[in-house]
Amino acid sequence: MITAERKPLAEIIDSIDAYKRILLVGCNECVTVCAAGGRKEVATLASALQMDFMKRGKHIDIREMTLERQCDPEYVEQLAPYIDQVDAVISMACGCGVQEVVRRFKAKRVYPAVNTKFMGASERPGVWAERCHGCGNCLLGLTGGICPIARCSKSLMNGPCGGSSKGKCEVSSEIDCVWQLIWDRLKELGIQDRYEDVIMAKDWSTERGGGPRKIVREDLAQ
Amino acid sequence: MSFQKRLASGEFLVLAEMNTPKGVDISQLITNARRIKGRVDAVVVPDMDNGVMRMSALAGGVLMQQQGIESIIHVYCRDRNRMALQGDILAAHVLGIQNLVVANSEQMANGDHRDAKPVNDLDELGLVQAIASLQKGVDLAGFDLEGAPAFTAGCTIAPFADANQMAAELALAKKKVEAGAKFVIAPPIFDLAYFDEFLAAAKGLGVPVIATIFLIKSVGIARYMALNEPGARIGEELIGRIRKASDRENECLKIAGETIAALKKKVAGVKIETHGWEHRLASILDYAGI
Repeated sequence: MITAERKPLAEIIDSIDAYKRILLVGCNECVTVCAAGGRKEVATLASALQMDFMKRGKHIDIREMTLERQCDPEYVEQLAPYIDQVDAVISMACGCGVQEVVRRFKAKRVYPAVNTKFMGASERPGVWAERCHGCGNCLLGLTGGICPIARCSKSLMNGPCGGSSKGKCEVSSEIDCVWQLIWDRLKELGIQDRYEDVIMAKDWSTERGGGPRKIVREDLAQ
Repeated sequence: MSFQKRLASGEFLVLAEMNTPKGVDISQLITNARRIKGRVDAVVVPDMDNGVMRMSALAGGVLMQQQGIESIIHVYCRDRNRMALQGDILAAHVLGIQNLVVANSEQMANGDHRDAKPVNDLDELGLVQAIASLQKGVDLAGFDLEGAPAFTAGCTIAPFADANQMAAELALAKKKVEAGAKFVIAPPIFDLAYFDEFLAAAKGLGVPVIATIFLIKSVGIARYMALNEPGARIGEELIGRIRKASDRENECLKIAGETIAALKKKVAGVKIETHGWEHRLASILDYAGI
């Protein structure tokens, strides 16, 4: 999933302080799972904003909506009946959702309420960790299914650096050394000889070297 | 007179661009530089120009200094993060480089190492700010330096296709000037009337403008530029002049020389780009009356 964290309340207030009517839009997908911008978080933020405005003797109308997917034009269209009734939109979706709302409603100011962080997985309740860098050329088949690009602090591809100690990364004792994880995994699978494989310098053109990326499926594209 | 003093004095500056080799054979670079020694004020050394991996500009600049030719080296953001940039800038100073140009860089996808990872940690404005900070004795992390470097640093203005883009480029250049750029290098423009419009608009920058003299080497290049670089304003008349000439190569040199002569009263100086014809620089200077 794409993970996110809500921005500090003061920053959100600062961005919309001049407006009187706000459409606050959450997303039912990734940001709901990581508890950053789903229906519940929309309600919490709306209450916090109302309270802040009231405390300052100001008034703000907030319409709450949570779309199935804010990165999908089909669902973003559901905002159309309400968009002219508000001065601005606050989006609690990831950066993709914010930009999809901007793309559809060009004349409307749209402000993000979350900081989009990374593509990750839930390690345990309340903890999400980075798993995929979106490099566009997956190497997981070579590394026992554990990604050194996303999970090594230096994105090393042929083994650990000197900063690996007792299975941890020198950047933080909270970070596992991914090469330790890869080694353990290869051993467990009985294929530790694969550790000797040399992974050549990576082709980053599939990441950002080729500029902003796009996937076009000719069989589906209209 | 140094580049810095000449820039301040308002005397016409002549700069020649010379690329470093893709390899370690520096003989051609040195020979070409010697040919124009004393006829140009400084040699501009691009870094990985057009996204092509070459010997670094820092080495090229030092080689020029060793030949008794002042150099101006490019610094840019695609391939180095703020640590590497600052380190190289400090190194440039102690190796005798006095002048920098913060240049825009070609997209990695258009270079010869398309699988490389672009860095772009800083943008060009950030790099101008970094140079200004280093000159004040403080690095980008806020730490004091043991000895601050000193440079005359300028910036480039990217080619623009229309008036809107020109305004956007000038607005960006203004930010760079406010951050410390002491001169700007304009993109190549062949229509001198249009270039006058640009100069009028660029007056607000308040720093000397150096024009780029782009040597067109053939009808093919002229046509390519006319098609792909609309901002260069290459007209049919110019293409026809080269096409009809009995000695086309010589005509190209002549056009470059004449352009320099025509710009002498309009700009602070010129930077001559010959793109592999550095051995013909002397002829261009002859035609320019320099």
